[in-house]
Amino acid sequence: MNDRTEHPSEILQRFSRRNLFVLLVIVLLLGATGIAITLSPQGAIARSSERFAWFIPVAFAIIAGVQTSLARRRWDPKSEEVKLILDDEWRRTNMARASRAALVTVLVAQTPLAWTFGFLTQLPPVRLAFAMALSTITLGLTTLIALFLIFDRD
Amino acid sequence: MSETLRNAIKVERAKRDLTQADLAVLAGVTRRSVNAIETGRMVPSVLLALRIARALGVTVETIFRLDEAG
Repeated sequence: MNDRTEHPSEILQRFSRRNLFVLLVIVLLLGATGIAITLSPQGAIARSSERFAWFIPVAFAIIAGVQTSLARRRWDPKSEEVKLILDDEWRRTNMARASRAALVTVLVAQTPLAWTFGFLTQLPPVRLAFAMALSTITLGLTTLIALFLIFDRD
Repeated sequence: MSETLRNAIKVERAKRDLTQADLAVLAGVTRRSVNAIETGRMVPSVLLALRIARALGVTVETIFRLDEAG
């Protein structure tokens, strides 16, 4: 019983962590871009994102291509390894801790965000609401993913 | 007075020449869970404690005990 070959769940877990790290970067990029566009619709970032809008379907195609080429590292919810990881107590504990911390962060950040966007930027109400929503979503997701990655490390 | 959960998983594993990964497969959990319990970072559920005990072929009391301090 001392076979040192890596269990498939180990490979999947490592790959899942990498995917989460990539997701964290994507969330940060999209969130920052969205907030920048909301704050300044005629700004340089808004103009650049219009120019690169064609890249979004290409990115989806690349992601789909990579996913199909992953073979046994692919996240198949029906496979035994994925069920093992999803039911794992350590993972669930860490996700619960990260979720609680993300909720507290989002709640605590509401007033400072409202002050920042409401008084410092003098935005019209609709754009203010958009900026608040985007920043809340970005902050919540970023905190959740980042803390989960920290808690769930070896 | 505080209570701390101590475990003898590492000792019992060593007796059987099992790695954390081997025990994880036998208990139907991930190696990270076994590692977290063994190093005292996680208190397992009763179900998981029973599964680990069964995988090692011992009773729960053999591998888990409460230490009272203070």
